[in-house]
Amino acid sequence: MPLFFDLTINGLIMGLFYALMAVGLAMIFGILRIVNFAHGEFFMVGAYAYALTAMKLGINPWFALILAAVSGAFLGVAIEKLLMRPLYQGYASWSIVKDEYAVVVTFALSLFLIHFVDKVIGPSPFMGPSLVSTQRIAIGPIMLNGQKIIAAGISISLLCGLALFIKKSLWGRQIQAVAQNRFGSSLAGIDPVKTTSIIFAISGMLAALSGALLAPIMNPAPDIGSFPALKSFIIVVLGGIGSIWGSMFAALLLGVSESFFAVYISYDYRDAFGLFILVAVLIFRPHGLAGQKGRGA
Amino acid sequence: MNYLLKKTALVGALLLGVSFQASAAEPILVGISITQSPPGSVVQGVQIKDALEIYRDLVNAKGGVLGRPIQLVFEDSQGLPEKGRSAVEKLITKDKVVAIAGSHQSSVCLSEIEVAHRYQIPYVNTNCWADSVREKGYPEVFNTSPYNSVVAKSMAATLKAMKVKRVVAFAENTDYGIGLAKGLGTALKAAAPNVDYKFETLDRSSKDFTPAILTLKANPPDVVVLTMLPPAAYIALNQLYEQGVAPTAKTIVYDGAGMADYPDFWQNVKEAGKYLMTIGMYHPEMNQTDLSRQIAVAYKRKTGNDPNRLIFQAVDSLVVVVDSIRQAKSTDPEKMLAAMGTGKFEGARGTMTFDSHQGGTYHQWVDIPYVNYQLTAVNQAVGNTTLLQGPGMPLNIGKLQYPK
Amino acid sequence: MSQIENLWSRRLARDLKCLLLLCALMCFVPLLDLSPYTLGILIIGFYFALMALAWNLLAGFTGQFSMAPAAFAMIGGYIPALLHFHLGASLWLGIPAAVIGSAALGFLLGTTVLRLKGPYLALTTLAFAEIARVFIGNSHEFTRGDQGLNLPTLMDGRIAYYYFFLALVVLMSALIFLLMRSKYGGYLLAIRDDADAAESRGIPVVRFKLFAFTISSAICGFAGCMYGSFSQLVSPELGLLQQTGLIISMVVIGGIGSITGPVLGALLVYLSSEWLRDVGNIQLIVFALLVMIFARFFRTGLWGIFLGIYARFKSNKKN
Repeated sequence: MPLFFDLTINGLIMGLFYALMAVGLAMIFGILRIVNFAHGEFFMVGAYAYALTAMKLGINPWFALILAAVSGAFLGVAIEKLLMRPLYQGYASWSIVKDEYAVVVTFALSLFLIHFVDKVIGPSPFMGPSLVSTQRIAIGPIMLNGQKIIAAGISISLLCGLALFIKKSLWGRQIQAVAQNRFGSSLAGIDPVKTTSIIFAISGMLAALSGALLAPIMNPAPDIGSFPALKSFIIVVLGGIGSIWGSMFAALLLGVSESFFAVYISYDYRDAFGLFILVAVLIFRPHGLAGQKGRGA
Repeated sequence: MNYLLKKTALVGALLLGVSFQASAAEPILVGISITQSPPGSVVQGVQIKDALEIYRDLVNAKGGVLGRPIQLVFEDSQGLPEKGRSAVEKLITKDKVVAIAGSHQSSVCLSEIEVAHRYQIPYVNTNCWADSVREKGYPEVFNTSPYNSVVAKSMAATLKAMKVKRVVAFAENTDYGIGLAKGLGTALKAAAPNVDYKFETLDRSSKDFTPAILTLKANPPDVVVLTMLPPAAYIALNQLYEQGVAPTAKTIVYDGAGMADYPDFWQNVKEAGKYLMTIGMYHPEMNQTDLSRQIAVAYKRKTGNDPNRLIFQAVDSLVVVVDSIRQAKSTDPEKMLAAMGTGKFEGARGTMTFDSHQGGTYHQWVDIPYVNYQLTAVNQAVGNTTLLQGPGMPLNIGKLQYPK
Repeated sequence: MSQIENLWSRRLARDLKCLLLLCALMCFVPLLDLSPYTLGILIIGFYFALMALAWNLLAGFTGQFSMAPAAFAMIGGYIPALLHFHLGASLWLGIPAAVIGSAALGFLLGTTVLRLKGPYLALTTLAFAEIARVFIGNSHEFTRGDQGLNLPTLMDGRIAYYYFFLALVVLMSALIFLLMRSKYGGYLLAIRDDADAAESRGIPVVRFKLFAFTISSAICGFAGCMYGSFSQLVSPELGLLQQTGLIISMVVIGGIGSITGPVLGALLVYLSSEWLRDVGNIQLIVFALLVMIFARFFRTGLWGIFLGIYARFKSNKKN
């Protein structure tokens, strides 16, 4: 019984981290219907920005966290402006190669970032500075890492904050509008290009923040991006297009079921498990767990 | 007539001088295949490169070999067997190197030795531990690297001396990890048959091993053995500590990969590295040779880090290449191989000779020195650790410390 | 034939003629007395060209954007390798098994993604590719995991392999040309442009989507097993997503939706990545930048640029 409890708690915590990683991708997915293969690299950039400013420049880790978030947002906007514009602005005949373009360009970007960081900063993995110094703390029967607790807490607040932002704020509602109907929203006076920029900024910021929060836990190296990227892809599809709540739920589910799968079936295939789920869901429920039907999956 | 003679003599002397210069300056090329970019272990590649460059400079400062300087040609294998294969092919067929060295990942080694065997070029294995590299029995391959069977035997002996009852091993899903874990099981069955031993295979690209670790929480074993490489090994160590599974008053972690002397070890594990027991291929209390002292000083000057076993392994593999040329008085591959097979080589870790029995020790330097030691404080340098077993000495398990 | 059909088949014919010219030029390369290493690079370039052609058939002509070509090559390499390792089977059994096996798995994948479009299709095929790679990489007892498996070789001598691979490229291109010139090729293009409209016109969309998947996977699998017999080693790295990304980049740079484009792109990209290796270890950084620039500014690829220059040259000549 205690093992069951342990696995569930651990799974939920991992799920929270997955959710923070994936939600940004879900937003881009929802608005542009493209897969951003460089999503994992935002995570990596955030982790590196956090660790470098905190360790090399000696800045307070909390402040470094904010710096990481800002750099993520900045990178997101830059990517959108330089690489993503052709997808929806002025290149009508792009439609045939739209998906290929997005994949090629984001894949190349991911390759570029990984090897650039590897060359400029170095290939060694490192452990980012913790926000608190307790490496382990007992909460009831569960042993937790202090950093994990804080990261979980920040994740929850960010996710709730994001949900509120999308639902209530002006920009949030603009985002909803553009996601539903790009052309229609422009008729209503919303600038879809600016809104897309905002979405990329948020996506980059969240991914970078999750990288920064997990830097003390996952010992990042330049190639750490593939791990959050694959998880995010799985979660975004599981959660269904256009549904942030769906993604969060899918993330938690993935975290918990991975833990149980690892123990009861195979440690080795623990990461492949999510991929199995992905394929299964796409076969039987192509709109994901909570997506809207009839959106032209 | 006189004038013509003089001119001819002058031209003749010039030509002689030029040709002498040319042949004297023509470097001997040694091919080095290491990981310089992901997904392989770039950290290992960098250490090996630094070490080889230091030794090359040492050799060339003394006039080189046969009057010729040594030149290293580096190729990036990226830690992938396929890239390693094409790197070694390029080195042999395009760069025309006289020998290959530097390889540090077993799966890459296995594909590279095929190429070396096909072209019959000497191949010195720097850091591939897997028994399968030796078991292939290729006459071109010589091993200055540690090997899984000796590590397994030593670890089994240590576990026996600790009088443990249950051991659980976490192995990474590679030839090295699983090979060592299995080898340890076999050695343990021979040395201490009533020890309950099992191993779990973990995906080395995973970032979270907590589920596997949680299963041990209810009934922790006496020893958790790790046969994993960084960065997965760092994560596993951290998570063992975080979950309170090891190190505890009951359970100790025993590392079979020698990661404690990596330059980035402490920055990655911090508190979790304390009380780690490890087999080590290098310890400052080992017998130092003149060469190892020279290398240590040069390495510290070049990188600011203390040397570790990978440095000496790399130097020793180049020693074998260089000295075999010297002993054979030629760069002809057949002669070099003959020299390697029978010769003695003064390396940084001691005098090397190579075994000729087929099987897991073929062309292996069997008496590789090793130690067992324990880390007792965070950020501890290897020199300050507690030596549980000095080189060639019996195990002194009484020195092992447990946390309160 | 109507004017439009005429136009398409003329373009296709011009496409093929250019490719055959390129291949004819490549015939003379071994005469340059290059090192076996350089020949090997070219052979691997041809291997990528085969996969590029196959992926272009599936994505450029049929609009099914799959992320699994490298995985099929890996599968195609492992089938004969496993048969050889466990049963001692020779390549004469292994090669047909590879083709049939890859085709069957391709068919299966096709049925899985029938109802999916765009990013969903990409992600499902990605998941399939990763599952295949993880399975092969982690099944130590069965596949020897990351050590890989050895394969026997088909012929002696690198030059023989060079011409063999070159012949394969010519053969595949010719077959694809014949296919695309026929009305079945038109079906594939219709599915790419608008599957619903195609269905409404009575084109059996399901059958031809599956057809495209099967053929494309079979070609990739065949390329993989040929590669395996050349390098005598297959390992899970053959199926890395990185490799698929490379193939996609080759097609996009070369020119998607053509026949010469993928081959040209494959050779140029692979050769330049090897050449850049000498320049210093920044080759992947430079290469990635190039891909981004190309995709951003030259979307019709090199083939499109060439066509544009040719067209301008011709119109200049007229005046």
